[in-house]
Amino acid sequence: MAGTLYLFAAFSITWLIIFVYIFSISRRQKTLERQIEKISEALRDRL
Amino acid sequence: MTHNRAFLKVFQFVTFFMMLLALYAIFVYAPVEKSMGIIQKIFYLHVPSAFLAFFAFFITFIASILYLYKRDNRWDTIAFCSAEIGVIFCTIVLITGPIWAKPIWNVWWTWDPRLTTTLILWFIYVAYLMLRSVAGENRRSNFSAVFGIFGFVNVPITFLAIRLWRTIHPLVITGKGINISTPMIHTLIIAFVAFCLLFFWLLINRIGLEKMRLKVEEIRASIEDKIHLEHEKQGG
Repeated sequence: MAGTLYLFAAFSITWLIIFVYIFSISRRQKTLERQIEKISEALRDRL
Repeated sequence: MTHNRAFLKVFQFVTFFMMLLALYAIFVYAPVEKSMGIIQKIFYLHVPSAFLAFFAFFITFIASILYLYKRDNRWDTIAFCSAEIGVIFCTIVLITGPIWAKPIWNVWWTWDPRLTTTLILWFIYVAYLMLRSVAGENRRSNFSAVFGIFGFVNVPITFLAIRLWRTIHPLVITGKGINISTPMIHTLIIAFVAFCLLFFWLLINRIGLEKMRLKVEEIRASIEDKIHLEHEKQGG
């Protein structure tokens, strides 16, 4: 039973780390997309 | 561009499928090890993660050499992104190892040569990432390339630690073969393939993100330059 708990902990933490990293990549990508959008709008206004 | 996106989608699907297959192999196909019991299954996460951490740092090493030789920023980007993903996999190694060690060795951590060198390796590449975040824009690439080359010295030391020194870390893969049963070898291979695909998928996405960030910075800098010039003209 204790072995199962350790196994569960190892798999959960591994997947949590991977998902948090994927989430951070996707969040940073969205931030950059918003910045590109802002720059494009600013350029359109100037033109 | 469309071809790239389609390729990434297919790659993502194959990675996801292989991950599910790896989970099936680990929990259903692979037998429970006699002496360690179910806890041995951590091995299928721990070993591929360790291999990929070493591989990621090797990519950083090669890309750093190529950056210093060719002075092409693309190599710097590859070196940085690979180091970041290497740290992620090294973190997984340092967490799954103690979780396995507690029920088997009865301690979470011991200053065994393999464990100690792996921890040092993690610190080296965390320092590499910190150096990049604090170093000035013009020095960042050079500093980190030199760090990426010298930091790699610890990778063969970590890999050979269980062969060079007396250690309690298990030695599963030797020159004579793999000391586990055939279904366990199959499962390990499937887990290796799945983790390799995950690694390359993460690397491709991370490089894409970094390229996008550099492009945005470049556009922003050129706009600011133009605005500055316009202000100067109006002032003059």
